[in-house]
Amino acid sequence: MDASALLLALRFGDTAFPSGGFAFSQGLEGLGAVSGARPDTDAIAGFLTEQVRHRWGSAERVTLVQCHRGDGDLDAIAALDHDLDLSSFSEPLRLGARRNGAALLATHLRLGTPGAAAYRARVADGAAPGTLAAVQGLLWRASGLDEASAALLAGYQLVTGGLTAATRLGLIGALGAQQAMPALLATVAAVCAEPVASDAEPVGFSPFSDIAAARQARLPLRLFSN
Amino acid sequence: MNDLSPSRQPVPPHPANAARIGIGGPVGSGKTALIEALLPVFQRRGISVAVVTNDLVTAEDAERLRRSGIIDPARVLAVEAGACPHTVIREDPTLNILAADELDARFPGLELVIIESGGDNLASTFSLDLVDWWIFVIDVAGGGDIPRKRGPGVLQCDLLVVNKVDLAPHVGVDLDAMLEEARAVRGGSPLLATACRAGINIEAVADAICAAVLIRR
Ligand SMILES: Nc1nc2c(ncn2[C@@H]2O[C@H](COP(=O)(O)OP(=O)(O)OP(=O)(O)O)[C@@H](O)[C@H]2O)c(=O)[nH]1
Ligand SMILES: [Mg+2]
Repeated sequence: MDASALLLALRFGDTAFPSGGFAFSQGLEGLGAVSGARPDTDAIAGFLTEQVRHRWGSAERVTLVQCHRGDGDLDAIAALDHDLDLSSFSEPLRLGARRNGAALLATHLRLGTPGAAAYRARVADGAAPGTLAAVQGLLWRASGLDEASAALLAGYQLVTGGLTAATRLGLIGALGAQQAMPALLATVAAVCAEPVASDAEPVGFSPFSDIAAARQARLPLRLFSN
Repeated sequence: MNDLSPSRQPVPPHPANAARIGIGGPVGSGKTALIEALLPVFQRRGISVAVVTNDLVTAEDAERLRRSGIIDPARVLAVEAGACPHTVIREDPTLNILAADELDARFPGLELVIIESGGDNLASTFSLDLVDWWIFVIDVAGGGDIPRKRGPGVLQCDLLVVNKVDLAPHVGVDLDAMLEEARAVRGGSPLLATACRAGINIEAVADAICAAVLIRR
C-alpha cells in the first residue's frame, strides 16, 4: 500500500470522518436479549466473527468490491445495490444499511465527491436503495482508494464499530475491545484474501445476527439505530 | 422500526433548504417544553415548522411531540444518538443532517427545522455544519451558579434561555443575580428568561428565532 492509499484509508476509517456510523450497533445491542445473559468479550467477539465471515464477507464485501469495479457506472452499481438489498433477510439490518449508506452519501455530497450527487438523486427517487456497501464501493473508488484497501477498510469499520458499540453499552472496556481486536482483524484479513468473482452473488447467512437485530428493534430502551 | 428509514415516496433531488436551528442544554432544563410552547406561536405566524429530536434511549420526546396535537406527527423525526449526544450534534452530525434533509424533501415550503439535542452537559455545542443558529437552555432549578461555570454551551450559543424562572423563589435562587452573571459571562450576547409552562417570554424567543433565521417574516 503506498502512502497516499494508507492516508486515505486512515482518513475514511477515522471517526473524525462524519458518516453517522457510530449510531449503529448492527444488532449487537440485542445480543443480551437473545442470549439471556450479559454478553462477555467472547460472546461479542463471536457475534462479530459471524458477521464478518457470514454476512459482511460473503455479501456486503462482494457488493462493495463489484461496485468499486463498476468505476462510476451508476446503472451497474444500482443493479448490484438492489441485489444486496434484496438478499438481506433482516429488516433492521437492511434498513440500517440503507440509512448508513444515505449518511455516507450525504457527507460525500457536501464534499463534492464525484458521483455522490447523481447517486443520491437515484436513491431519493427510489431508483436505488443506497446500501452502505454499494455506496462505499462507489465513493471510495471515486476518491482514489484501491479495491483491496476499500474492502479492508469496510471490514475494519464493521469490527471497530461493533467494539465501540459494545464499549458504549458498557459490555467491555476500551482495553478489552483492543484485546479482542487482533483476532477479529485477522478474520477480516482472511476473508478479504478470498477473491470476488465478477459474477459472484451476495449471499449472507447469519441467523444469529438477524435474530439479535430483530430483538434490538423491539427493545423498549435503545441507544442505537439498529 | 426506525422512523428514519428511507421513505419510499420520491423526493426532489435538490430540496429548498429550511432554516435549521438547534436547541441544546442539560437534561430536564425545558428544551422540549420550549418547543411545545413555540410551536403554536409559529403556527399563528404561519411559519411551516418540523422537529428532529435526539432522544438518548427512547423516542420519548418525539412521541410526546407527536401526541401533543400541536404538530403533524409526520413532521417529527427521532434520531438515535448511539449514546453520544455530543457527537450527533457536533463531531458527526450526519444523521441529523440526513433527518433535516428528509424533512425538507417531504414538506415543500418548510421554513424551519428545530433540532432538539439529547439532554447533555454544559459542554455541548452545535456544529454550524448542522444548524444556522442555536439556543442553549438552562434552568433556574439547576442552580444559580450555572452561568458562572462558563460551560461552552452557555458561552457559545446564539441565544441563552434561562428557563423555569417561576421556580426561583422555591429553589433559593436570586434570579436577578443569575441573569446578571449570565449576561456578564456572555459578554452581552443575547439572553432571555422564560417560564415555558406558564408561557412567559415565549414570543420573545420566537422573535429572536425569526430575526436570526427567518428575516423575511
Ligand atoms: N416549573 C416549571 N417547570 C418546567 C418549565 N419548563 C419545563 N418544566 C418542566 O421541567 C421538566 C423537564 O422539561 P422538558 O421539557 O422535558 O426538559 P428537556 O430539556 O426537554 O429534557 P430532556 O430532553 O430529557 O433533556 C418537565 O417536567 C417540565 O414540565 C418551566 O418553565 N417551569
Ligand atoms: Mg426533551
